[in-house]
Amino acid sequence: MSRLQMFAWFNLAVIALTLLVVFSLLPFLGSRAMGGLGCLGFIGFGPLFFRKKPGRVVTDERDHLIQWRSWIFAYSLFWVIFVLIAVVLSAVIYGEDGAVPVSVVRISVFCAFMLVYALASIAILVQYAGASKNAE
Amino acid sequence: MPSKKQETLANRIRRLRFDNGEMTQQDLAERIGVTRQTIIALEAGKYVPSLLLAFRLASAFRVRVEDVFQYDAGSPG
Repeated sequence: MSRLQMFAWFNLAVIALTLLVVFSLLPFLGSRAMGGLGCLGFIGFGPLFFRKKPGRVVTDERDHLIQWRSWIFAYSLFWVIFVLIAVVLSAVIYGEDGAVPVSVVRISVFCAFMLVYALASIAILVQYAGASKNAE
Repeated sequence: MPSKKQETLANRIRRLRFDNGEMTQQDLAERIGVTRQTIIALEAGKYVPSLLLAFRLASAFRVRVEDVFQYDAGSPG
């Protein structure tokens, strides 16, 4: 497994953990359970997977290409979803003259963060899938 | 307008590894500064390397780039 794959699995694990914490606390704490979104901070440890080790290649041009493509895919899809929600869903839910509550805006930032990281991670794993069939 | 062609880039990396003292994928990867996964992807034809990497591969086997990679422009589809 490459470092980029480890990074992708780690991100997905952190996102899953965050959702688990938030949804398990929700019945007890109500809206305060959103504090569990702070677990997303663990994603900050992701770059540790790319620490350079002497005499060992950690990432190469193919990894960079896969990473680059994954982020482009993730941000492109995120933008489509974001526009769809901002333009269509907000009007449907809150009405043409309605106001979006601050708490919703705050949570949507975290949701966007999770969405982008999850999409990028899945794209990374999909691009690596099947590549190890010819391993010796 | 040019017609669509099915271009392919075949390679002889696997053959060349065995011709060079049965070099392992890991040995070759270390020699040219890439990961083993990249060698696997190259041999499977799932990755087209940069020009620089193609030259590094050829240099590792002490052959010309054309001896490692064979370009086929394909037939008009």
